Amino acid sequence: MSVETVVKEGDLAEMVEQVWVSYLDPEGISPLITTGDENQPTEVHSSVSITGSWHGHLVYASSTQAAKRAAAAFLAMEPEEVGQEDISDVLGELANIVGGNVKAMLPAGCFLSLPTVVMAPQTASYFPAAERISGLYGVWDGESVSISMWQSSSDLQKGEAA
Amino acid sequence: MVIDDSRAMRMILKRIVAKLNFEVTEAGDGQEALDLLATMPEVPDLALIDWNMPNMNGLEFVTKVRADPRLREMTLVMVTTESEQSQIVRALAAGAHEYVIKPFTEGAMIEKLALLGLVPTGANS
Repeated sequence: MSVETVVKEGDLAEMVEQVWVSYLDPEGISPLITTGDENQPTEVHSSVSITGSWHGHLVYASSTQAAKRAAAAFLAMEPEEVGQEDISDVLGELANIVGGNVKAMLPAGCFLSLPTVVMAPQTASYFPAAERISGLYGVWDGESVSISMWQSSSDLQKGEAA
Repeated sequence: MVIDDSRAMRMILKRIVAKLNFEVTEAGDGQEALDLLATMPEVPDLALIDWNMPNMNGLEFVTKVRADPRLREMTLVMVTTESEQSQIVRALAAGAHEYVIKPFTEGAMIEKLALLGLVPTGANS
């Protein structure tokens, strides 16, 4: 089953908006502005894997500056006080929150992994056996942020064959 | 008591309950919380519990607390991304009193706690 029929970009946008309102921009001053640019550079990547009746990953990616800002907002700190552990913890939780809500829209019987965070360019955060099937790409105060869904290539092939 | 493997989420929850004048303790998973509870002379009024955690998940923690006569009176609120109806039913059947789905706003959390009689009227205004 292709997730495109289950989780549309509008659904991702709604989830992300809730995350912004709840934790990153509760006063509604600087929302995530979508650009649709799939190729915008990102430097920090957090992901959760989904297994069971659907196989794939949910990836939250951003520039280092946007990651620092997210950590600062989440932890009520100043951006210059934010360390790598803070970034890792907050970005992992952001992937977990969006991934958990995505899981609820997938066929029953899915399980969510604990998050993984990679602080390295996009090329280092490559999922070799999965294809990007959906995503939300934007800027937050001029810094790149994206949330994308990747589905297992073998699942996609099964879907095409069916 | 705040139980979540994410330090970031523990900080968010601690900020909210501290505003309501609760004294807050924290644990990174269900087992750590049980170990901590065993050393506490007084049982906390409230536990905010994540579901997916290493070592012991939130559902196991709720089940163990409900089976322990010393801890049984503690109010248990699941705070999790698990939003399927079947999971909510499982948690409530195991003994959770309330269920909050992440992401949540501070106001929404306070409303839930108010419904449980844990917040003075008007605390969210």
